[in-house]
Amino acid sequence: MDELLEYLGSAAPGPVQRHQLAGIDDPATMRRAGRVLADLPAGSDLRPADVAVLATCTVGPFEPLLRASLVATGIRPTLTIGEYGTFELSLAAGNLPGADPDVAVCLLDDGFFLRGDWSAVDPAALASQLDGRLGELRELVLAGLRHTSATLVLHTVPMPAALRDTVISQQARARLGSAWYGLNAALLDLADEDSRITVVDLAGELADLPVRARDERLYRYADLPYTDGALLALARQVARVVQARSGLSRKVLAVDLDNTLWGGVLGEVGMTGVQLGGLYPGNCYAELQRTVRRLREQGVILVLASKNDTAAVDEALAGHPEMVLRQEAFAVRAVNWSPKADNLRAAASTLNLAADSFVFLDDSPFERGHVAAELPGVAVVAADGDPAHVVGSLLRRGLFDVPRLTETDVKRPELYRSRALRTDFATGFGSTEDYLGALELRVVARPVTAFDVGRVAQLSARTNQFNLTGVRYDEAAVTAMSTDPAHLVASFTVTDRFGDEGIVGAAWIQRRGQVWWVLNMVLSCRVFGRGVEFAMADWIMRRAQGAGAAAVVGRYVPSTRNGVADGFWEKAGFTPSGEDGTFTVVPGTVPSCRPTWINTDEGSDGHD
Amino acid sequence: MAMTDPAPVEATVLRVLSDVLKESIGDLRAQPVLATHDWDSMASLEALSQLEDRLAVTLDLRAYHGARTITDLVELIESSANTTRRH
Repeated sequence: MDELLEYLGSAAPGPVQRHQLAGIDDPATMRRAGRVLADLPAGSDLRPADVAVLATCTVGPFEPLLRASLVATGIRPTLTIGEYGTFELSLAAGNLPGADPDVAVCLLDDGFFLRGDWSAVDPAALASQLDGRLGELRELVLAGLRHTSATLVLHTVPMPAALRDTVISQQARARLGSAWYGLNAALLDLADEDSRITVVDLAGELADLPVRARDERLYRYADLPYTDGALLALARQVARVVQARSGLSRKVLAVDLDNTLWGGVLGEVGMTGVQLGGLYPGNCYAELQRTVRRLREQGVILVLASKNDTAAVDEALAGHPEMVLRQEAFAVRAVNWSPKADNLRAAASTLNLAADSFVFLDDSPFERGHVAAELPGVAVVAADGDPAHVVGSLLRRGLFDVPRLTETDVKRPELYRSRALRTDFATGFGSTEDYLGALELRVVARPVTAFDVGRVAQLSARTNQFNLTGVRYDEAAVTAMSTDPAHLVASFTVTDRFGDEGIVGAAWIQRRGQVWWVLNMVLSCRVFGRGVEFAMADWIMRRAQGAGAAAVVGRYVPSTRNGVADGFWEKAGFTPSGEDGTFTVVPGTVPSCRPTWINTDEGSDGHD
Repeated sequence: MAMTDPAPVEATVLRVLSDVLKESIGDLRAQPVLATHDWDSMASLEALSQLEDRLAVTLDLRAYHGARTITDLVELIESSANTTRRH
């Protein structure tokens, strides 16, 4: 571990070091790592995020623990800690710590809700007090949101044992417990009031961890109610929120079969001999399969990565009566004797996704080590040891977390299966244009509505390749721009003969007098190679022309990942303006750049 | 509970203090008065957390803050090892 800390002190952590950091459960080590990371060297692919912390108690060790947890998830945090005792004032005045944080964490403790004395013979009065303080917190949070576009992260609060046990009537104690659970339920419900509020369940998390929640000495001495272990649990939950908000969620789960999705080696024991369903340990594998199926239901794309005979695997997937995941659950099935790293690389290419979108679950340390060495961006999860723990291992880092599910998320596994079918369909055409023409591509463009905001913000956060300027707009920004007459935010939906891809593109445009400035344009890698980006540019130019614009200006800001978009504006008919990567066109003066094989439809307008 | 061996306790205390105070063990030995280092409340609480965790003791905060030197701290932990248990 000292080696890791030494590394962190000298260079920005890469995927390998971040994976090691994510696996550290010792709060003291994470605290040290957080201190070292305060001077994080420049470089690496960490995603920057400004995070503010305001607290009803002393922040103390939460700062280094949060920093280390954020870096472990791929974030380069700039942390700003609010002054002690300014929690309510900061929110009420909308004066959050830091200039304009992306995320503001509210560290809460029981003292905020329990003001003054209370009577042990009147639990109803205590419940009423909790309710009143919750109402005040709600008002403060909503007031704070009026002055910021930040995401506010709150958490549930564990009930102090001393509070519970002071009440000697077991009946009254149950009522008190009910009131406290009601407080936490109401805290969780705050997330429904505004999409910029996220509430993590610290109390629930602590029930599952072997750490004490509180240290009364530190509470009385320094207003530090929580132990380092509890603060690390909270820091990890917050890091999951920032990770998801920053578009770092994983999209693909590549899974092994033998001793992972079922017990035993298929080639040795045959389909009837594998452990799946029934009693332990078969029930563990069945539960893992159900868990994986639930991830798929929520948009996680499944890839099968198994060294096996294809025929035997097909037979088992189709014929085993307890099998939960059948062939059609997998977008890509790589069942062969090739190195798994090669198979994952090929699967990434087929799906047109980067390796850092992948999670790899396998029981073999050799396979995991090989994949980690060859594809360091892949998040590797161990499936060896007691199979009862594998579900927990797969889920505990929140690698697939998203701020909220969009319709496209839910459809994604089917969309990617369609992609595989499309690849099969592609054989037998004389030219690419023949193939694209036969796809019957249709692009529907429209100004975004409240229904599209989540997906468009998600595209902004997640798209790295066709991302022309790298400027990312979160939900608050998309909402604000989509309702502002000086802006136009457009979404682009693609359908073809194999199905509906959903919203795969977006453009943010600012009207500056007679000039339309394309602030950014993004396109999901899922539809690359079909000319959709040119249909988007064509739509923008026609729209600008219809509105009487004298010029449309676009910009390309090169990054390490958006080389695919290099030269886009010129190909679309724009001319370099000679200023900082900008390109200009007078709408109506250049031929349409829309490919002949794409039909563009106008969706119904919002306010535009 | 068996008597805690003083040598490992001292070694652990020095290691923890060296880490928290960012001072070499040699410098700590040369200047064992805690107040001469950055022994503020946050540093002392971080050291407390690490010491309790690594040495499996629970210290009385009053006595802990009463320790003036590293030797005092080692003696406090040694005596606590036989008289306290983790809460």
